[in-house]
Amino acid sequence: MATTPSKKTSTSTSKAPSGKSGNPLAAKPGTTGIDPRGPRFGAVITFILLGIDVILGLTGPSVQSGTSWAVRITDPAFILLLVITLIFAWGSFAGISRHPYGLLFRVLIRPRLSAPTELEDPIPPTFAQLIGFVVTSVGIVLALLGVPYGLVVAAAFAFIAAFLNGVFGYCLGCQIYVLLVRAGILGRARA
Amino acid sequence: MDALTASLVLGGLVVLCSGAGLLIRAREGRAKILTNTVRVTPEQLGLRRGDLPFGSSATLVQFSSEYCTKCPATRTLLAATAQAHPGVRHIDIDVTHQTGIAQRFNLKQTPTTLVLDEAGMIAARIGGAPRPDALTRALDTALRRDHGNYTI
Repeated sequence: MATTPSKKTSTSTSKAPSGKSGNPLAAKPGTTGIDPRGPRFGAVITFILLGIDVILGLTGPSVQSGTSWAVRITDPAFILLLVITLIFAWGSFAGISRHPYGLLFRVLIRPRLSAPTELEDPIPPTFAQLIGFVVTSVGIVLALLGVPYGLVVAAAFAFIAAFLNGVFGYCLGCQIYVLLVRAGILGRARA
Repeated sequence: MDALTASLVLGGLVVLCSGAGLLIRAREGRAKILTNTVRVTPEQLGLRRGDLPFGSSATLVQFSSEYCTKCPATRTLLAATAQAHPGVRHIDIDVTHQTGIAQRFNLKQTPTTLVLDEAGMIAARIGGAPRPDALTRALDTALRRDHGNYTI
């Protein structure tokens, strides 16, 4: 599973993030770093749900045009994507440390693992939740408008990002952020 | 669409993602040794003149950003490497609010590390969190670089 690659040989027992003072990217004073395996565990649940949603979407009415309003909002694929979108919203607006999957991780998984070798700033995975929220929201809007395949394509994109995060630990949203900075879309506000 | 076709589509998506993930993993953190002569000045990195920020024998320039999961671990590795080699300095630059730097150095991901030799020439470039062996090789290249090979 994706949550295993921790170095058990580490002797680190420090609860503090490894960065020293003056490091702008370490967990800010007053906030605590999070176990990096938590968001990855959440990403595994997310990509499984999104995979189910892709199947439901492809076999359901969301790929057809001219469906009625009632059919669209009672489509199981629509309801499941709405739930996933709301969970993304929770993660992005309440913060990753209050994420429901994070709670599940702390209660069920964390006690069975060795101590994390390092703690992670909660801001990047929170941003990744926001990207997930935006992508799945587009799917919700397209599904409400009755655009064929809109829901499936959005769910598939979110699936790709969650899969790469859960299985490979690769944060696609974080990489997109750098490209947005480079394009001048983000990051200019503060000098 | 029937359930079998839908499952095949999802299976295709899984294969695609796995391939992309393996490709990313294989490429990440490897050192690209550069033989051309591109010189970096402290001013280009947004550092003030007179700070003398470069190391006397080599410099590890790390580009970081906000929302970067692997930057803190990279910072720890590079700082420890610089400390272990006299004359090597580690500089960490947050490009989040410095769009010009991200464009000038063609940054596609953070962290990206440039290993500069004593003259400030780029000896190697590492995209993503550096692998320790790749970093050692890149630093060796920078430290041993023969200045007879190029003209400044």
